[in-house]
Amino acid sequence: MALTACAAGEAAAPGAASDGPVTGGTLTYLEHQAYTTLYPPAAGFYPNGALVNNLTARLLHQDPETLELEPWIATALPEVNGDATEYTFDIRTDVTYSDGTPLTAENVVANLDLFGLGDQDRALIVSEAVNNYERGEVVDDDTVRFHFRASAPGFAQAVSTINSGLLADATLERDSEGFGPGNAADIIGAGPFTVESEEVGTSIRLAAREDYAWAPPSAENQGRPYVDAVDIVIAPEDSVRIGSLASGQAHIARQVEPQHEEQVTSAGLSLHAAQTNGVNNGLSFRFDHPLLQDIDVRRALIAGIDREEVVSSIFSDAYPLATSSLSSTALGYSEQEDAYAYDPDLAEQLLDDAGWVVGSDGIRVRDGQRLHLVVNEALPQPRSRDVITLVAQQLREIGVELELFQGDQAAQTAASTDIDQVQIYHSMVGRADFDVIKSQFSIDNRNTLLNEGADGQPIDADLEALLQEVASEPDTEARAAASAAVQAHLTEQAYVLPFFEEPQVYGVQPQVHGFETESVGRPTLSGVWLEG
Amino acid sequence: MRFALRRTGQAALVVVATFVLAFLLLQALPGDAIVARYASPELGLTAAQLDELRAVYGTDQPIWVQLWQSAAGFLTGDLGTSLQSGASVETLLAAALPSTLLLASLGFVVAVLLAVGIAVAATNGPGWIRRGFRSLPPLFVSIPVFWLGIVLLQVLSFRLGLVPVINASPAEALILPVLTIAVPIAAPLAQVLIRSIDDTVAEPFIAVARSRGAGPGWVLSREVARNALLPTLTIAGVLFGELVAGAVVTETVFARSGLGRLTQEAVANRDIPVLQAIVVISAIGFVIINLVVDLVSPAIDPRLRRAVHA
Repeated sequence: MALTACAAGEAAAPGAASDGPVTGGTLTYLEHQAYTTLYPPAAGFYPNGALVNNLTARLLHQDPETLELEPWIATALPEVNGDATEYTFDIRTDVTYSDGTPLTAENVVANLDLFGLGDQDRALIVSEAVNNYERGEVVDDDTVRFHFRASAPGFAQAVSTINSGLLADATLERDSEGFGPGNAADIIGAGPFTVESEEVGTSIRLAAREDYAWAPPSAENQGRPYVDAVDIVIAPEDSVRIGSLASGQAHIARQVEPQHEEQVTSAGLSLHAAQTNGVNNGLSFRFDHPLLQDIDVRRALIAGIDREEVVSSIFSDAYPLATSSLSSTALGYSEQEDAYAYDPDLAEQLLDDAGWVVGSDGIRVRDGQRLHLVVNEALPQPRSRDVITLVAQQLREIGVELELFQGDQAAQTAASTDIDQVQIYHSMVGRADFDVIKSQFSIDNRNTLLNEGADGQPIDADLEALLQEVASEPDTEARAAASAAVQAHLTEQAYVLPFFEEPQVYGVQPQVHGFETESVGRPTLSGVWLEG
Repeated sequence: MRFALRRTGQAALVVVATFVLAFLLLQALPGDAIVARYASPELGLTAAQLDELRAVYGTDQPIWVQLWQSAAGFLTGDLGTSLQSGASVETLLAAALPSTLLLASLGFVVAVLLAVGIAVAATNGPGWIRRGFRSLPPLFVSIPVFWLGIVLLQVLSFRLGLVPVINASPAEALILPVLTIAVPIAAPLAQVLIRSIDDTVAEPFIAVARSRGAGPGWVLSREVARNALLPTLTIAGVLFGELVAGAVVTETVFARSGLGRLTQEAVANRDIPVLQAIVVISAIGFVIINLVVDLVSPAIDPRLRRAVHA
């Protein structure tokens, strides 16, 4: 199988003879869903991110392979004070937005003020990537400074993400509706592409910006994009998207499901599996639920689930088996050796010892209570329902009943924060910064373990303190150590069972060269060129 | 005339009742739309921030206030804002409605042609052709739209490369979806037509016409067709429902924007303002078609005129 399982490897077919990049042509890119908004802090949704990533420039750029930061609109990495509460950037003065307005220090401050504080009246939310933001300051024409209420060591990486894509002054004035479908052509950035036209819900045409000349230093293509235009076409039905890609009607398709990989490779196309560098796809056990308060029950669940069977029977080589709660390519990763070994005998032993007796229907009972747990369906994640179905079969063998919470996205979201409805939470999160582990587990953020008591205080205060350390320790080595401590704590307490390192899988035609993704797997199209 | 007014009044009443009922039912679903879009842990908003958003979107108001505001909005042409994307519902409908109307009307025309062809062959051809064509409608009814769409795509587009799906010209883009949507609608139409033709042919006046020397073509076009038209017309309302349902599937399969796709996405995201608008528009379409059928029927069949005036 021709598989490029690195973060940003060339997706070109191996051995394709060519004399280097060619300018011109229109790239056809198939997307799974229509975008919902182009407001950068809401660009986490992949269809949004695919657009924002190509329309906007950011202060810094993150190398998708090394995850190191480099200048982009800023001329150098920022000067940061000792406790990481002040960031000073020197910025370029030669950059213009696609509407012709200059990218100024005032404009940069206006952008970050909006992303860091939000604007409730316009229904524009605060960016998850920017924490503790207080205010921005224009120091002089080419210098900006940002002030924080508390240490914000993740800020430099935050300004490199698509959530911090810089927008022209006129665009910053828009409200939530103004960023929504139908307005794409009016969202003005300083990136390599502009929106030429939009058919709501169907397609978007991007045009190369001829005068684009401020690519990040590491970019191979320092000038305008090689292709003249990109047609982003929405094809929600899997078999249609893959069929039209394989039959040559499109160049690139996002979201090739594992069961369709062979169809893509056997048609002579390559797969590009981009790692998302964050918290792995897996289960969070909500340890405050009466059935899960006993650590031995949680240990039994981990020992009773055969992750290798899950990955090998439902997924493919593009989905590496997880070795920690963090992906092995994520910042702060620390391997958890043998922590998730499959051992059904041990699982049964643990449950027996904990007083759970197998009942007449094969499900264990204690004090008249059945060992019955509910798990959500992670609708945005690949094949979540299949994973849960298989895991439920495996757990049944050791006398545990696992039920899938049925319902659409809205019902899943509403139930996901209620421990009485969902005791095990299936999810993942991609973000190429140490902060990602806090995003997943802290009571301030996604709080997937529901570690918040009725009094608003953390139930496991040690875990929360470690997470806060990851997010506030100014020193990089100390952040890495704190992140490792969190992963060890999650393992010791048997709070999580990670399944695999979730990639974004793209199918790519052989005549496409230079396809790359940014640090969490969104397409970067400025370096793509089409062979004659 | 009084009949026409009364039927129009009834139609308006149905639309109003649908509006209110849809509003109340959508509100009763678990998890409001603010939860659906903003409470996702990915955005990490606090309960207080969610409440502020509810105030911005007006979903914190008592339900009867929201009902009144929504109704007033509809009457003045303001259908509200999609909670999922923040786009105005008019924008979304303006993009979706023309495409669906085109698909549905072409699908209907093709279905009628298909049905007439099947019915004529099933009632006039030689025995084996008749039997063959008579078995077509039950077969067509049992073909799932989704499956048909995928098969047409796989064979005609992916394998044979006859019609592109991606970046197709507007005309090319219609061929396969129209075929897909026409087949399940042609089936009940053809069935009703075959039945009416059989019944009409058995009527004494056909025998009279034949005895006067009328050929089969004349009988079919002048006598049978006129009499078979009415029962066919009366199921038009039912077929409209079929068209809407078919559009949901067809538009998803063929990656077409339209009311169907919009509905599917709005349901998945509990996008109440969008759903409300779609339900009301569908109801208006349904009511108008039935109204037209009721008003036109007496013009076709004089017996109905008498019954109405009696």
